[in-house]
Amino acid sequence: MLEQLEGSQAIARTVAACRPEVISAYPISPQTHIVEGLSDLVRAGDLAPCEYLMVESEFGAMSACIGASAAGARAYTATASQGLLYMAEALYNASGLGLPIVMTLANRAIGAPINIWNDHSDAMSQRDSGWIQLYAETNQEAADLHVQAFRLAERISLPVMVCMDGFILTHAYEEVDVPSPERVDAYLPPFEPRQVLDPDEPVTIGAMVGPEAFTEVRYLMHAKQLEALDLIPSIAGEFESAFGRRSGGLVRGYRIEDAETVVIALGSVLGTIEEVVDELREQGVRIGALAIKCFRPWPSQEIRAALSDVGRVIVLEKAFAVGAGGIVGQNVRLALGGGARIHDVIGGLGGRPITRRSLRTLLEDVLADRLEPRLLHFLDLDHDVVERELERLRRGGRPGPHAENIVRELGIVAARPH
Amino acid sequence: MERPFAITLEVGSSLANKTGTWRTERAVYIDRMPPCNDACPAREDVQRWLYEAEEGGAGYERAWRRIVADNPFPAVMGRVCYHPCETACNRGELDQAVGINSVERFLGDVAIEHGWELPAAAADTGKRVLVVGAGPSGLAAAYFLRRHGHAVTIREAGPMSGGMMRFGIPRYRLPREVLEAEVARILDLGVELELDRKVTDVEAAMGEGFDAAFLAVGAQIGKRAYVPAGTAAHVIDAVSMLRGLEAGDEPLLGRRVAVYGGGDTAMDAARTAKRLGAADAVVVYRRTREQMPAHDVELEEAEEEGVMMRWLSTVRRADEGRLVLERMELDETGFPQPTGELEELEADALVLALGQECDLSLVEGVAGIEVDDGVVGVGPNMMTGHAGIFAGGDMVPAERSVTVAIGHGRRAADNVDAWLRGAAAPATPERELAGFETLNTWYYADAPRTRRPRLDAVRRQSNFEEVVQGHDASTALFEARRCLSCGNCFSCDNCYGVCPDNAVVKLGRPGERYEIDYDYCKGCGICVAECPSGAIQMVPEEI
Repeated sequence: MLEQLEGSQAIARTVAACRPEVISAYPISPQTHIVEGLSDLVRAGDLAPCEYLMVESEFGAMSACIGASAAGARAYTATASQGLLYMAEALYNASGLGLPIVMTLANRAIGAPINIWNDHSDAMSQRDSGWIQLYAETNQEAADLHVQAFRLAERISLPVMVCMDGFILTHAYEEVDVPSPERVDAYLPPFEPRQVLDPDEPVTIGAMVGPEAFTEVRYLMHAKQLEALDLIPSIAGEFESAFGRRSGGLVRGYRIEDAETVVIALGSVLGTIEEVVDELREQGVRIGALAIKCFRPWPSQEIRAALSDVGRVIVLEKAFAVGAGGIVGQNVRLALGGGARIHDVIGGLGGRPITRRSLRTLLEDVLADRLEPRLLHFLDLDHDVVERELERLRRGGRPGPHAENIVRELGIVAARPH
Repeated sequence: MERPFAITLEVGSSLANKTGTWRTERAVYIDRMPPCNDACPAREDVQRWLYEAEEGGAGYERAWRRIVADNPFPAVMGRVCYHPCETACNRGELDQAVGINSVERFLGDVAIEHGWELPAAAADTGKRVLVVGAGPSGLAAAYFLRRHGHAVTIREAGPMSGGMMRFGIPRYRLPREVLEAEVARILDLGVELELDRKVTDVEAAMGEGFDAAFLAVGAQIGKRAYVPAGTAAHVIDAVSMLRGLEAGDEPLLGRRVAVYGGGDTAMDAARTAKRLGAADAVVVYRRTREQMPAHDVELEEAEEEGVMMRWLSTVRRADEGRLVLERMELDETGFPQPTGELEELEADALVLALGQECDLSLVEGVAGIEVDDGVVGVGPNMMTGHAGIFAGGDMVPAERSVTVAIGHGRRAADNVDAWLRGAAAPATPERELAGFETLNTWYYADAPRTRRPRLDAVRRQSNFEEVVQGHDASTALFEARRCLSCGNCFSCDNCYGVCPDNAVVKLGRPGERYEIDYDYCKGCGICVAECPSGAIQMVPEEI
């Protein structure tokens, strides 16, 4: 049944339908509404049996999930930004131990300067943590991905991170068909732990392993992630049969059948991209879009197949490797080898809106060969501001913090979202 | 069960890594000296007996046995000791000192109620020791000498045992049945007590077959200051007054009584005068309240009972029904100087409480014994300059209190024993003081002190009922549990919980302590940093 509701509430209710037995979380914007919703459900007895742990930090949240999951409970948490960084060590533990924890990541920028708005720096910073990373385009998909995530995690014994754009999705009211508990029960079997902790048969989990076996353990993690590349589409397929809608999978093309130019992106920005694609198509431009739904494991073959006849690729991403370039772009190059011209474009940092107009200008520049492919391009960058700041730097002395200077330069007291 | 490769291992697999080899410092359990023990004149192991008492039930008897290992008078102590332990207590810096004295009294009373007996005397050594004086010091010495197996005879000049505990401390502070119960327990160990038998020549007395002597005759003589007095003036000294009362000879003081002096005895005399029917009891003291040697609690209780104070005053003259006082002023050095300003005070009697002196006639002419400033000199082993004659209590240079006297008795007994056996004097091991800074007070819950109930002032002015009441079991237990266990492990499991190497081994049953497994202790010091009571220390390894 379609309902008009806030993204976070949709996620809370969907997670509840998945019957987690332990929820351990620490509030941080823009994720807070999700765990608040869940704590309400637990308190009211609508989600039972379930232990809701109000922990002292994100490190504690993930550690409690690790303990709960190792003891055989279905465990869930949510976080964002600095919260994810604070649990970084525990993230590696969860994946290294192969514990099927599911976490919502309400994507948000990382400071400094502190910024609570959306981009993908948080998720990208943990791309090598061994977690599966799924990206939602809409609130409907975000909800659906959680149901799939528990199934995937428990099938393959790996933790899964469901990434959804902070505020843009979490705080948006839109129509969502929240998966009902009955249908989730039919789709998602009860958690059967790979091993059960038993005082009569004690074991040690995660103790020291030396050089004689560490490489093999890591190889097995990699092999499992590659195995997930086969599993994810089949789980999405089963979801479609059970719920009657498409959600998830590895990649999704939009008008790419005869496209010469394709825009690649992750998350909610795909909606805007598709509208611009439609506008350009009307003008006869052979352009399409490719949504990457699963960033880890990296669906190399699927991307290569989707882009086999494409001459130009624009990778629009909301994070980048400072001092190196685009992150998704790098991965796309890896998938495509030579061939296509690939433009790395960074946009939407710290919540800056990616508008249709900017996107259209960008694509027209690319189509007219006005964009140098080897250079990292920043969408809507205020060149005057950075030039002045760089000039100040070149003049020597102590320029002070850039953020301060720029804010003063722009004549604003405090940074605001556009 | 299928186990994930190299993730799930057998139990104990990480024991292969002996992290102890990384260590440059080791954690070692220590027992620091708790400040309460350090301050106790009788060297009671306060921290340890509070620890036992914390358990309640069977712990009470264990606690009491810990006390009587050092002091045979817990019920008396719980009433008359001025508890320097509480002054030193680290908890005083946190909220309020632990009410050690009140717990001691509770334990002492429980022991009397249940008829618990002192540990038996040791096997007979064949040695005989003469103790002169049946006050706290003599009785304590007798007790410890019996525990060493020596035969003990106490000769007491007075008609009853107890010394100043009976003749100096009024019964509203120390009920006589309590005193008698604790004295009887000591005598039951086979101590021979000869009353009304004053020793006038110690060497002659020793000639009756004693191998050593311990002298503790006390300070029984009230000091007399020269006060010009009319023939009809009524002037007596406080010690005689209190002693007379105890012997059934109620002194006649009149309706208005002045007490001259500022010590605890002055307070006792004034409070006693009130109880004997005086409408006014006025303490006249030369200096100020701050300089007064009486303990605060004594002054407080006296004021509650209506005793009045005349600070900075001396008695110039006593006549029938009136005194002439002179106002004093402190000079720059804090010494009182006469001002020449006179005033009158109506008083039917003047009680002098100006300190006490010792009757040292029994040591006159004894070779080697030195008397200086009215007291007998002794060495650290409590022996006088005459081999085999030891002395303690009020007759040696020290603070004069029941607890100090008991401490002397104990120390003297141990040294008499060593001397009789020809052994070296027993040494007490030096322990580092557990100062407040060694504690992790964060770990302790807030717990304000429980006060012992006191008899209402109006109900105690006219009788000799005990003023300060005891704890009941619940409040005593609460008070015992407020102990921070300074410098001593109390088995809280903190080290066991925080050790990242699981190198802290629990020895077993609750209450037993821990051991460190040095195969795995890598010397990180977390247990030391997190020990609430400062009972673990880092010691550098020799590398």
